[in-house]
Amino acid sequence: MNQPSNPEIPPATAFHPNGPKPATIPAALASDDEVQTASNTRKRKRLSRWFYVLCVAIASISVVVLVVLLVSIGIQGHSKISPDLVNNAHSELEPEQSGMRPAVIGSLLVCGICALAALPLGIGTAIFLEEFKPTHWWLRKLHGFIQLNIANLAGVPSIVFGLLGLTVFVYMFNLFGQIQVNKPSGLELFGVQHYYQVLSLEPGQTILIPQTDMEQKTITIDRPIQGMDADGNLFDIARWDRKSGPKPTDRSERLRTVKEGAVGGSYSQREWYYFRLPFGRSFLAAGLTLSLVILPVIIISAQEALRSVSPSLREAALGLGATKWQATRDVCLPAALPGIMTGAILAIGRSIGEAAPVLVVLGAAVAKNGGPENLMDSAVTMPVLIYNWAGRPQDVYQQLAAAAIIVLLIVLLVLNSVAIYVRQKVQSAS
Amino acid sequence: MSSRLASSLPAALQKRNFRSTAASEFRERCVVVLLAACGLTTVLITVCIVGMLISQSWNFFQSEHVSIGEFFTGTQWTALQSRDLADAKFGIWPLLSGTLRVTMIAMLIALPLGLITAIFLSEFASHRVRSFLKPTLEIIAGIPTVVLGYFAILVISPSLQWVTGGAFDTFNATSAGIAVGILCLPMVCSLSEDAMRAVPMALRDGAYGLGCTPFETAVKVVVPSALSGIISAFLLAFSRAIGETMVVALAAGTRATATLDPREQSQTMTGFIVEMIKSENEYGTVQYYSLYAVAITLFAITFGMTVLGQIIRRRFQENYS
Repeated sequence: MNQPSNPEIPPATAFHPNGPKPATIPAALASDDEVQTASNTRKRKRLSRWFYVLCVAIASISVVVLVVLLVSIGIQGHSKISPDLVNNAHSELEPEQSGMRPAVIGSLLVCGICALAALPLGIGTAIFLEEFKPTHWWLRKLHGFIQLNIANLAGVPSIVFGLLGLTVFVYMFNLFGQIQVNKPSGLELFGVQHYYQVLSLEPGQTILIPQTDMEQKTITIDRPIQGMDADGNLFDIARWDRKSGPKPTDRSERLRTVKEGAVGGSYSQREWYYFRLPFGRSFLAAGLTLSLVILPVIIISAQEALRSVSPSLREAALGLGATKWQATRDVCLPAALPGIMTGAILAIGRSIGEAAPVLVVLGAAVAKNGGPENLMDSAVTMPVLIYNWAGRPQDVYQQLAAAAIIVLLIVLLVLNSVAIYVRQKVQSAS
Repeated sequence: MSSRLASSLPAALQKRNFRSTAASEFRERCVVVLLAACGLTTVLITVCIVGMLISQSWNFFQSEHVSIGEFFTGTQWTALQSRDLADAKFGIWPLLSGTLRVTMIAMLIALPLGLITAIFLSEFASHRVRSFLKPTLEIIAGIPTVVLGYFAILVISPSLQWVTGGAFDTFNATSAGIAVGILCLPMVCSLSEDAMRAVPMALRDGAYGLGCTPFETAVKVVVPSALSGIISAFLLAFSRAIGETMVVALAAGTRATATLDPREQSQTMTGFIVEMIKSENEYGTVQYYSLYAVAITLFAITFGMTVLGQIIRRRFQENYS
C-alpha cells in the first residue's frame, strides 16, 4: 500500500472507489470491483447450476418418453397377448381371434434372405476397403469413391430403396412382361409344373394332365389324352359316358376314368425353389430390397471392426510371408469377427423393424393364412401387419396392433441381447 | 514348438502352409477381384437408384397432363383424389410443405433436446447416470418407426387434442412431428456426443483454469470446438426426418394441404408414396409414375443434405490429434 505508484499501473486505479489496489495485481485486473466481481461470480455460478438442472430435466425426458411409450403400449395390448396371437392368421370376419403367425414366419424368412444377401456382400466390401488399400492412384480414387458412395447410401431414405426394389426386383423394368394374378408370367425358370385338373369318377379325386399349351386355360376331355398318376407316370385316361354303360365299380378303375366332355381348369404345382424372372411381389424381392437398406450399415460396422484389429497381428502374418489375403483370412477376420457379428445383428434387428421398403415391395395387404410356400410367394411381415392394424379405426385392431408391437419388441430385445452378449464377450476377452 | 504355445498364436502363424507363392498369388488376385466386385456392387446400387428415378420420372414428365413448371410451382396435388387424369393436379408444393412442417416440428424437438442431452452426457453425467441414460437412448434408437407412428396416434395425438380442447385434427402434422423428433433425438445425441468427446481435455482444463463455470466451459468452449460434428449431426437428423415414412404414413393424415397450420392434416412426400402403393393404380399410369417424380425430389433433398454434412465435417473439422 505504501509503495510508490508504479508507472505501469494506469492512473485509473487512483480513482477506484475502494482505494488504490495492491501494485502486484496485473493491470487488467486492477480495475475490478470486488463486490461487482463477487456478485458476477455468484450469478455465473447460479446460471451454471440452473443449466445443470435443465440438462438433467431434458436428459430425463428421453427416459420419460420411453417409459410412457412402453407403458401405454403395454396397457393397450396386454389383453390380446394370448396363444391366439401367435397361432392364428389375420381375419376380417373374426377380429377377436386374429393373430400374426404368417407375419412372424414372413418376417423371419424375409430377414433370412436379407442376411444371406447383405452379409457376404457387406463384409466383402469392408475387407476390400480396409485390407486391400491400393497404391495406384486411380485405384485409390476408386477406393475413395466407393467409400464416399457408401456414406451417401447410408443417408438414402429407406422408401427410396423400396422403390428401387419395386422397379428392379418386382417388375425388372417390365423387361419380362407384367405379372398378372393366376397366370404363368414372365420367364419361369424352374420349380413349376403346369397341369389341367379334371375330376375323376371317384368323388373328391382329380386327375392331373400335363399342360402343353400355356395359352389354353381349360381342357375338355373329348379325345384320348394322357394323365399323370401319383408317382408321375403317364397313363391313358379312360372316358365314360351314360350311353356306354354303368360306372365302373372298381376304385382304381374309377380313379383313372373321367366323364366324357368333362372340363378341367389349369393348376400349377410349385416347388419351394420355384423361380421366375420378374420376381413379382415375392418375399425374395422383399428380402433383397431390405438387404440394400442394411448394406451400408453392415459395411460401416464391419470396417470399424477390421480397423480395430491391432496392426501388429497383421504385420506379423505378413512378415512370415503370408499373402495379404492369407493374413486377412486367418488373422484379421477371426479377430474382427465378434465386432462384425455385433454390427450384423444390430443391422438385422433394424431390418426386422423396417416397414416402408417391405410395404412398397409387397403391398399393404395382410390377408394371408400361412408363411410363403415358394420363393416367389408373397408374404406379410410384422411391421406391415402392425401398420395395417394400427391404421384401422376398430378398437379390436388397435389392441391387436399394440399386442403385435409387444411381440415385435420382444423379438428385437432378444436380438439386441445377443448382440450385447457378443460385445461383452469380446471386451472381456481382449 | 509346444502345443500350448501354438494355440495362443494366430492361425496364420500356426498353419505355415505357404506352399507355392505363384499359386497363392493367383488366388490372391482372384480374391481381390471378387472383393472389388462386392465394392462395385455398392456403386451399382447408387447407379441403379439414380437411373431408376430418372428413367421412371421421365415417363411422368413426358405425359401431356403434366408440366415441369406446374410440378415445381403448383399448389394442388390431387394424384389420388381425382378420378379422371385430366382433372388431376400435380404440384409438389403441398407435399413439400407437409414434409417441411413435420420436419420442422421434429427438428424443434430433436435438435435442442438432443444437443442438451449430449452436453449432459459428455460434460456432467456421472458414470451411474450414463449407465442407464445411454441404454435408454439406444433402446429409443432401436424402436421400429411403425411403433412410433402407432405411439403418435395412440398417445400424442389424443393428448394434444385434450390439452387444446380439440383444436387439432385426429391426424395432424404436430403429433407426427413430435414422434419423428423422438426418433431423431438419439441420433442427434449420440453423434454430437461423439463430436464433443473428441474435444481434448486440455481445452476444458484451460477453461476451468481461467475460472469458467461448467456452463461456460460447455457452451463457450466445448460446443464451438465440436461445432462441425454437431452441425453434420443436425443435417443428418434433418435428412432422416425428411425421409421418415411410417410415422407420417400413420399419423400425419392423407390430405395434401398447402398451409402453415400445424394442426391440420398434412400429407408428406413419403406419406404420398405409401398411399399410392396402397391404392389401386396400375403400374404404367401417369398417377403411378408421379410416385417417382416425388421420390426423385425426396432423393435430391436428402442427398444434398448428406453431401452438405460431409463437406462441413471435412472442411471445418478441427483436428486435435
